[in-house]
Amino acid sequence: METITGRALILACSAIGAGLAMIAGIGPGIGQGYAAGKGAEGVGRQPEAQGDIVRTMLLGAAVAETTGIYGLVIALILLFANPLVGML
Amino acid sequence: MDSVRKTQMTIIRIIIPLIGVISLLSIFLLENPKAFILGLLFGTGISLLNFFELANTLRRAVQMPPSKAQTFTTTKYFLRYVITGVVIYISIIAPYINVLGTIVGLMTIKLIILATNLFNDKKYFQNIFRRKEDESNGD
Repeated sequence: METITGRALILACSAIGAGLAMIAGIGPGIGQGYAAGKGAEGVGRQPEAQGDIVRTMLLGAAVAETTGIYGLVIALILLFANPLVGML
Repeated sequence: MDSVRKTQMTIIRIIIPLIGVISLLSIFLLENPKAFILGLLFGTGISLLNFFELANTLRRAVQMPPSKAQTFTTTKYFLRYVITGVVIYISIIAPYINVLGTIVGLMTIKLIILATNLFNDKKYFQNIFRRKEDESNGD
């Protein structure tokens, strides 16, 4: 039976960790979509407030989007620049 | 000029000097500032383009029926997410771009939005320590 090396184990666990980190990218997508739907409802109810609605939504969505990028950064670093492999 | 365009211009006006300050600091503090500055410019440029794309997406989305707007915005979000992923991947792979610079560049826009719209308001800090029970009693 082949033995599992430490490096192989770290790489396998990193791949699982990268997959889990990518879950963070789903939340902002759902949130932005929900906000845009509500924004469209708001503009339908009060068309003259469109500028303010879009501006507020833009700032909120931009802040939410960076939260998703954190997960992406972690996932890509685990996959392509894994610092844990060098610790062996 | 509408309020959305004005907000975009304000953010651009703040982001350029901020990038200059971070670049200057990197020249004094880092061993290889050229790669960091290149990454910083790369990340900031892409984050600004993403920000403009987000504004265009939301402008179009509010004209749509709510369910269609939801699908449209989510689809566009994942498109921008993939672009950001490609940018980070390139900065990891390319030896002449520092990945930390790219990440800092991608995050500066959040810092600026929070600084200009939330932390510049004194009431925000006062409200942190204000108890809701006191407000309901009329004190």
